[in-house]
Amino acid sequence: MSDKLKDIINKQSEPNIDDSQLDDVVQLVGFVIGDEEYAIPILSIQEIIKPFSWTRVPQVPKYVLGVFNLRGAVIPLIDLRAKFGLQTKKQSDETRFIVMRHEDDVAGFVIDRLTMAIRIKKTNIGPPPDTIDTDDTIIDGVGKQEDKIITILKVNKLLERDF
Amino acid sequence: MDEFQEILQDFLIESFELVEKLDEDLVELENNPEDLELLNGIFRVAHTVKGASSFLNFDVLTHLTHHMEDVLNKARHGELIISPDIMDVVLESIDLMKALLETIRDTSADAGIDVAECVARLDKISGGDGEVNTPVAAAPVEVAPVVEETVEEDDMDYDNMSPDDLEAEIEKLLQERQAEDKAKRQAKIAAGEEVLAAPPSPEEVEESAAAEPAPVSTPTPPPPPPAPAPVKKAEEPKAAAPAKRAPAAVEQTIRVDVKRLDHLMNLIGELVLAKNRLIKINDDVEERYEGEEFLEELNQVVSIVSLVTTDLQIAVMKTRMLPIGKVFNKFPRMIRDLSRELNKKIELEISGEETELDKSIVEEIGDPLVHIIRNSCDHGVETPEERVAKGKDEIGVIGLKAYNEGNQIVIQIDDDGKGLDTDMLKNKSLEKGIITEKEADSMSDKEAFSLIFKPGFSTAAAVTNVSGRGVGMDVVKTNIEKLNGIIDIDSEINVGTSMKLKIPLTLAIIQALLVGVQEEYYAIPLASVLETVRISKEEIYTVEGKSVMRLREEVLSLVHIGDIFEVERILDASEHAYVVVLGLGTSKLGLIVDTLVGQEEIVIKSLGDYLKGIEGVAGATIRGDGGVTLIVDVVALMSMARDVKATTMIDASAETSSVVEKTKASDYTVMIVDDSKTDRTIMRKALESMGVTLIEAADGQEALNILKSGDHNFDCMLVDIEMPRMDGYTLATEIKKYNKYKNLPLIAVTSRTGKSDRMRGVESGMVEYITKPYSADYLSSVVARNINFKAEFL
Repeated sequence: MSDKLKDIINKQSEPNIDDSQLDDVVQLVGFVIGDEEYAIPILSIQEIIKPFSWTRVPQVPKYVLGVFNLRGAVIPLIDLRAKFGLQTKKQSDETRFIVMRHEDDVAGFVIDRLTMAIRIKKTNIGPPPDTIDTDDTIIDGVGKQEDKIITILKVNKLLERDF
Repeated sequence: MDEFQEILQDFLIESFELVEKLDEDLVELENNPEDLELLNGIFRVAHTVKGASSFLNFDVLTHLTHHMEDVLNKARHGELIISPDIMDVVLESIDLMKALLETIRDTSADAGIDVAECVARLDKISGGDGEVNTPVAAAPVEVAPVVEETVEEDDMDYDNMSPDDLEAEIEKLLQERQAEDKAKRQAKIAAGEEVLAAPPSPEEVEESAAAEPAPVSTPTPPPPPPAPAPVKKAEEPKAAAPAKRAPAAVEQTIRVDVKRLDHLMNLIGELVLAKNRLIKINDDVEERYEGEEFLEELNQVVSIVSLVTTDLQIAVMKTRMLPIGKVFNKFPRMIRDLSRELNKKIELEISGEETELDKSIVEEIGDPLVHIIRNSCDHGVETPEERVAKGKDEIGVIGLKAYNEGNQIVIQIDDDGKGLDTDMLKNKSLEKGIITEKEADSMSDKEAFSLIFKPGFSTAAAVTNVSGRGVGMDVVKTNIEKLNGIIDIDSEINVGTSMKLKIPLTLAIIQALLVGVQEEYYAIPLASVLETVRISKEEIYTVEGKSVMRLREEVLSLVHIGDIFEVERILDASEHAYVVVLGLGTSKLGLIVDTLVGQEEIVIKSLGDYLKGIEGVAGATIRGDGGVTLIVDVVALMSMARDVKATTMIDASAETSSVVEKTKASDYTVMIVDDSKTDRTIMRKALESMGVTLIEAADGQEALNILKSGDHNFDCMLVDIEMPRMDGYTLATEIKKYNKYKNLPLIAVTSRTGKSDRMRGVESGMVEYITKPYSADYLSSVVARNINFKAEFL
């Protein structure tokens, strides 16, 4: 009897432990580009919008599509497919613009499709593969889930001008 | 302590404002040493600063201003004539005063600056002159006690006053005294004898006090600032002339943080964009619901919103406006110093100093003007001897004026000096390798004048304190261009030089010309647009790989906007093009565009950090339809144009998609466009035997969409003329706009047989005209001929 009681008490206290460990959980938003699933921290996302028209800007790399109007602000639009060296493809119903913000930098990124919001424990996030130069990479880490792994991107690197 | 800080702030702001005006007044005084009004004004400044600084315990400043006051006081009484030498000392003391004020601003204390030497010299001046007791000088003795009495009476009151109030009081008191004094002196003149001035009657004082707008309750004039003031104060009225110069009624102003105004300006910018959208939506709605009743109401609202927005924009812009006099003020002093340094006689004539422009521009315009005026003094105006020899007046005149011209403000600097010698300019530039000999030969006078703005250019034989380093004018040009302004020079040898700076009134919202190229739009600041002309392709000539055209008597170099902004040529350029003539100072450039959209008020937005520094793009704006349009940076464009290869009118069709070798009959693709299913089937039947791939479209619009999608490479199209949505002629015209399809054979298949129909077909770009009915063999043979069908596939 006392064992059972203990069990119950243990079970009841478990969620509490979870709560206290909330800091150790990262909330991410997952999206697909090409065949890979990527994720970025949910807090660095300003908004996710359906695609609309943009204006081309000259003298920039191919992956910078141009600028678009986000409620009065002029914001650059970056095609992540092109940036990751994939073939560009026509926008579909699932295409979205993710507007990311890091400090004062804001930009829109074209992604193929959204997957879901992910909660992942920090302990389940590994460092980027050793083969990648850690200083220069846009990969923040690799999140492990039951059946797959997700590449977590550094938003500040994505928003950094590299041309 | 906070209270003290507040008082100190007020003191500093006020003092700086006073000192700013002082320079100008002093120089003017030198020319008119007898001008009592001026003297009084200057004296008041020294006095005010002294009073306030002693109150705030700035002993050094008090000490200095006290001695300045002595000298000025003597001058006011006519005991001292202000000679240039005395003026030098006075000006020096003013500089010291400025330095002290700055130290106080930075450190809240006035230590660290030695004023002893200057004070000694001031003393020498004031002491060295005879202490003649003029009859007028006797007056204060009588007046003084009265004032001193009031000091004691109102001591408490005065303690509770802020320096501002105090100042207002003093000002008021002064005016009253001056008015009384004027009356007194008139009486004296009338009587023709010395007058022992009577103290002002209390009623009089009360009356004038009541008339003042300032909130005063004491009937007796409130006292001047503390300590040494009373006696001085009392002396003042006796020499004072009518107070024409003294500021009239206290201005109803309020100090506002510039950041708040900037924020307001940003909000207005958003509003202007919203207004543009509203107008566009209104136009659309008007088209769609023509004749509906609510339209009129909507129209009214839209026009009111648009009107108010415009007014609001102007009103807010005005809050940021400052008179250019703020900048002009420092020049009389500068000219004076320069002319003494250079041993020249130069007079400065200022006009239009009340012209207003944006604060940010006022701040930026000062330095360029300093450079230009220094340049005029050093290189423009000759020495007195030279001038006399040339039969000119010994005194050179530099004119500085500002005026409005449309949406711009023009600042014009004229001198009557030796003028710019184009040959000399060219030779110097050749020497320094700034231009080539060929360039020198083909240069117009205006272009030669603008050589002075080239970096590294200097005509001065030796580097002097004043100029000769060859950086000044270069900086002028960059600064003015940064403000979207242009410089225009005119000069005639031995007559003078005139320089015009044309600057837009504000930086945030500008008028722009919208142009189209292919499917893109760009905005060009209207200030840089001189004119637009429509030309045909034949008018464009190519000289050394550059396009040029004749514009009246000039040869204008041309550049295609598409070449600058890497615009893909999807649509074929039409026979005609528009040339936007851009002017920047003396250089001109023709920008070829496909279409002119119109003039619009645009709000400049930054492209942000990620995209900053794109050459040729000054920023972006949001249009009425919510789209983003890039703003052309005309300055950068001019320099980019030099390096751009002219592909303007070269036929791009040569490089259209390389033709894939046809290896089998089905490699040929033919589109059949007809709204009748039967007709399409007949054509299909006729061509199926050839084995070519056939695509069908039910009307022109569908055909165009299939073509645009680029999924197929068509070798030929069979087009019916009469179709819903888009007819055959329109379709042909649309298709021919695309470079890629310029050579695509279009075959009309129609029952229309009229000659005019055939003509229209040819005009719209059809190569063959087949009339229904036709035989299957005939159709297939015509198609085969047009697609270069290889016989072996049959």
